[in-house]
Amino acid sequence: MEVRIEDLVKRFDDVIAVNKVNATFESGKLIALLGPSGCGKSTMLNMLSGIMPVTEGKIYFDDRDVTMLSPDKREVGLVFQNYALYPHMSVLENICFPLKIKRVPKAERIEKAKEYARMVHIDDYLDRLPKELSGGQQQRVAIARALVKQPKLLLLDEPLSNLDAKLRVEMREEIRRIQRESGVTTVFVTHDQEEATSISDYIMLMKLGVKQQFAKTRNLYNDPANLFVADFIGNPTINQLHGIYEKGNFRPDAYENAIPIGRYQIEDGSRVVFASRPESVIVEKKNGKTVMEVEETYVSGKDTLCVLKAGDGRLRAYVDNDSAPQEKDLVSVSFRDRGVFVFNEESGERYYE
Amino acid sequence: MKNRTDRVKSFMQYLTLFIGAAIMFLPFFWMINSSFKTEKELLSFQSFFPKQLLIDNFRQAWEMGDFPRYFGNSVFVTVVCVALTMFVTILAAYGFSKLKFPGRDLIFTVLVSMMMIPYEMLMLTNYETIRHMHLFGKIWSLIVPFTSSIFYTYILRNFFLSVPDSLYQSARIDGASDWQYLWEIMVPMAKPSLVTIALLDAITCWNSFMWTMLMSSGNRNIRTLPFGLTAFTSEAGVHYNLWMAGATIVVIPMIVLFLFCRKSIITGVSRGGLKG
Repeated sequence: MEVRIEDLVKRFDDVIAVNKVNATFESGKLIALLGPSGCGKSTMLNMLSGIMPVTEGKIYFDDRDVTMLSPDKREVGLVFQNYALYPHMSVLENICFPLKIKRVPKAERIEKAKEYARMVHIDDYLDRLPKELSGGQQQRVAIARALVKQPKLLLLDEPLSNLDAKLRVEMREEIRRIQRESGVTTVFVTHDQEEATSISDYIMLMKLGVKQQFAKTRNLYNDPANLFVADFIGNPTINQLHGIYEKGNFRPDAYENAIPIGRYQIEDGSRVVFASRPESVIVEKKNGKTVMEVEETYVSGKDTLCVLKAGDGRLRAYVDNDSAPQEKDLVSVSFRDRGVFVFNEESGERYYE
Repeated sequence: MKNRTDRVKSFMQYLTLFIGAAIMFLPFFWMINSSFKTEKELLSFQSFFPKQLLIDNFRQAWEMGDFPRYFGNSVFVTVVCVALTMFVTILAAYGFSKLKFPGRDLIFTVLVSMMMIPYEMLMLTNYETIRHMHLFGKIWSLIVPFTSSIFYTYILRNFFLSVPDSLYQSARIDGASDWQYLWEIMVPMAKPSLVTIALLDAITCWNSFMWTMLMSSGNRNIRTLPFGLTAFTSEAGVHYNLWMAGATIVVIPMIVLFLFCRKSIITGVSRGGLKG
């Protein structure tokens, strides 16, 4: 089912939690709502589920306006951050509950619950109580319970935040698998960019209630709409140098040499931020170009991350282990065309060539 | 050494508990023991235990004192009272904990402060109310004033407050209405608290004396066991063995009920909050 939101607003007294958000979530896709805490992502999810009333705007499921519909009529499944399993019911009874409410005959609902228990690999624990399960198992039960009524939209609220690091990686792949198998449109909330980029088809990045960018996951990295997006996505974070744009060159505040960056639609003398991904920084033997000193090196796998210094400016660059410079070496730096962006210093808006 | 002091300490603890238990238990034992003795045995102090277990006392008391009727009345009043009280308490506790309406907490505070009004003061107003309802001398007069309890509502409300709201939201998304959420999720979860409340209420109803005396002054057919027993002691003359047999009849159902619910009561009393 396709989900469309139009000018969605949520106001708490005088705080605006979600501000005029528009988006269309394509049917059958896995969509991440990403952002730092307080960005309104959970509020968005709660409005989609119907738990929280909408202040302004509309929500459509396919062509049906569900803005005023109560949660029980929306045909959504929701997995809570704390899973919210019914503590007095066994795993099987928990999964059966939505069907029991729908008055599905007992034999049928048990059969169906078992089918979904198998899908989330929890079928060995059907008689256990929630408190007898680990966090990962509880989450599987919560997902099965959300899916068993065959919702048209599955919502997951910070589904991995209560799990330890190893289980988190395992469960996010599980969520991906389960989502693929069931084919249900899924929206999940997270503040972890790695979690979002690793499993989702689309990401909506939010900040202070405002949508920053909604795009395919890889486009968010390769083609950020503004400085906030460029800064939020990517680990290590994108390099940022502040300075002035002048006739195709960028003049950093931190050191002398200008960097040729090509023609942008920018007035000469404007203040800009020149941002570059660590893998887009080319490190060479010292030559005529910008010279920087290698301050520190970190080996990570087949690459070495070098921290380069010139004046007050710092750049991080990925270099192949074999050609990695030593600390204190002087090297020359240039930039690739890809992974290099120029932003307005004040507004953070991106300039295009 | 440590082991020995530990053992002494534990011995002392058990001794204290044993003495306490013995003090609590002795009157009951005395009552039951005496109810099996002949009158002569009882008064002469010839032996501590009865020579033979005399069931005859029970038969005599049962027949002489109209106990079958009292027993029936007691059971009816207790069952109906507890059922109604539970229903009202559950609804009230849910309303005062989970529903939002203006003045909710203020109203509840007023209700709780009303717990300080002594029962004896309420008797007069209750009496007037019952008279105006034309229930005086009818069995329902023993039930109607006791179908709600602020104290039980308070206990249950505290439990309901400890249930996280995400369970409510989850149930709503699973398609449940407020009513279904209350009876399918909240009530089963509160079972230990509910059993405790039901038992406390059953004991209160079963032992209710003053009010029964007042109401049954117009109609001896609605006497319940405790008042029936008092009446029996004056009507049957001084026969201690029969009195004790009567008293045993009154107490035993409550003891049996307690033994059945013991486990739930312990969980109900000891549970602090909700885990998991």
